Amino acid sequence: MTPLEFPRRLAALLLRFAIWIAPHDTHDWGHAMLSELNHVPGNWSALIWSLGGAGVLAKHAMLAAILPSSHRRTVSSASELFDKEGPMRKPALAVIASCVVASLLFFLAPVFRQAFRVSLAQWHDIFHVKEVFGDPDSDAELEALAKKAEQNRDAEALAFIAVRHANQMQRVHFADEAVRLDPNLTWIYATNGALELSSSGIDRLSMLQQWDPGNALPHLIAAQKIGVIITQSKEFPLGKAEESPAWEKEMDAAFQSPRLDTYLDRQKQLDHRVLSRYRVDDPFQVVSDENWYGLPSYGVWYCSRYAESLLESGKSLESRGDRKAAFEKYWAVARFGQMMGDGAGFTFVMRKDMKEAYTRLGALSQMEGNNAAAAFYAALADQFDKAADKQRLLLRDRIQGSVVSHWNAFLVRLSGLLMLFCTVLLLLCVLGIVVRSRSLRLSSLHPSRLTLALGFGAAVGSLLSSAVLFVSYWPYSELLQRFLSKGDDAQLFELSAFLRDTQLPLGSQFNLGPGSWYVASWNVVFYFWFAVSILCALALLIAVFRHFQTRPRATTA
Amino acid sequence: MKTPRLSPQTLRVLERFVERPTAWRYGYELSRETGLKSGTLYPILMRLAKFSLLETKWVTTEDGVPPRHTYRLTPNGVELVRATFANSRSALKVRRPAFGGGRA
Repeated sequence: MTPLEFPRRLAALLLRFAIWIAPHDTHDWGHAMLSELNHVPGNWSALIWSLGGAGVLAKHAMLAAILPSSHRRTVSSASELFDKEGPMRKPALAVIASCVVASLLFFLAPVFRQAFRVSLAQWHDIFHVKEVFGDPDSDAELEALAKKAEQNRDAEALAFIAVRHANQMQRVHFADEAVRLDPNLTWIYATNGALELSSSGIDRLSMLQQWDPGNALPHLIAAQKIGVIITQSKEFPLGKAEESPAWEKEMDAAFQSPRLDTYLDRQKQLDHRVLSRYRVDDPFQVVSDENWYGLPSYGVWYCSRYAESLLESGKSLESRGDRKAAFEKYWAVARFGQMMGDGAGFTFVMRKDMKEAYTRLGALSQMEGNNAAAAFYAALADQFDKAADKQRLLLRDRIQGSVVSHWNAFLVRLSGLLMLFCTVLLLLCVLGIVVRSRSLRLSSLHPSRLTLALGFGAAVGSLLSSAVLFVSYWPYSELLQRFLSKGDDAQLFELSAFLRDTQLPLGSQFNLGPGSWYVASWNVVFYFWFAVSILCALALLIAVFRHFQTRPRATTA
Repeated sequence: MKTPRLSPQTLRVLERFVERPTAWRYGYELSRETGLKSGTLYPILMRLAKFSLLETKWVTTEDGVPPRHTYRLTPNGVELVRATFANSRSALKVRRPAFGGGRA
């Protein structure tokens, strides 16, 4: 075939396909257009001829699907000439059956069942409208686990639930119960938001400070609470929390603390033990505590503010000749910055302050004649940028996940959606055939070509989307198993970012590049139900139209 | 007798038939003469045939070439066309093919 003949071949192919899907009473006309194709001069003219004809046949095919009675099978005068397409039905049916069986076989694999459940997460908001616009409910699996934990008086399981429960009062209740049963779990208050809420007259923050006196974290949480209260009370100008003596006292205590423990390691170990004990393999339960990144959000910002004030104070002392006191101020900033890096990976927040602290420490050492110490601080200041950048990127990955995870989440949602669409389409085709044939006997079922084409597409689509779903989810199943079996949480943040994306309805978020955009879930819910209402109204109109069309009419003379 | 809606395009097709009422016409030939694309012409032919105004026939022209579908007006069709053109001849005069097709 020369390239010039290609349009003509394509034209013939297009018309043949259109004839294949067209209702029987239009086959003669389809073949008429096809035979005329031989007499149309010019390859591109032939293609245009074919496009017009195929459009006509496709319109009739669509009408036949919507209004079946308007296209009853009629005896074709030329059907004998073109009956070669008849045997195509058997292979098509065989392919459809094979695809359906293969798609169902995927469900035998536990990983696929898990992947399918994950792909359904995007529908949660749409079918739980009350939760989107009101208070979120806890899920049934977690409630069942809570019952078991309370029966067994299992403090660790109660702490596990305290981090995940949707209701904040319940979170506090389970945390209190866990700490009552096992005071060694007092750290759970820092991670589940219980400290934000003052209830039952329990001073949980003091409990945490008493339980872990050497840790800077409770002081940062206390400083955050004070900052929030100041902002709300308007006692101080906005953003002037540092003018409060109480805030300064807490920040000073934090900077004087010998260590900074964010309890992330404890939490992961607890998760692993509880998940293994109760054999929970729901990925959403595994990662639902991933919203705790180690430090309270305002607390992180306050660290930099307090470090700045310490540096200013150090410079002032230095100008007055009190080098020792100035050295202590600079050293406090540098030491706390190192703890932020080691304990939580947040060194980059204090990047500017730490660099300045090292520079000042080096300068003071030089003045004191300690050249070795001066060189050491200078080297630390030089290397600091790289280390801070590395930590910042690590934290960004931890919060956002990689682009690969976003793509995989997109594929999982798309394939899950296609699977549902193809299944519904296939069921409609089967229903249509049965209703038309008015029988359930296989021998009496005669699918139209359009029904066969739609069924074929749906079956192949179902198989392909199942395969894509399986392949896209597989790496995350591996990450989950690695955590459940060995407690390896190294890449758990990837699973978390992936699952976070899978919960957004398809089309509500495009964050695969710089031009990312986002539609709030309540808007998606509104658009979805609006579209459903419009489609229902259209279906009703078609039904009414069909009723009037098929109603017996008086014959015109 | 029920009749289809006679659009300007339908009238253009009928005009071609009425010139030689007994002759069998091919689809592409009609398309060329009326300037109508296949997507417009065939629905018209199908509608005319449905209302028994047009009869169709498959003819084999030469060996190795697929048979062609041919068309001509039925007596009812001829009658309808004559009546229609008699009533609206002046209107028909201003109707011209949208593009290309010259008169036969």
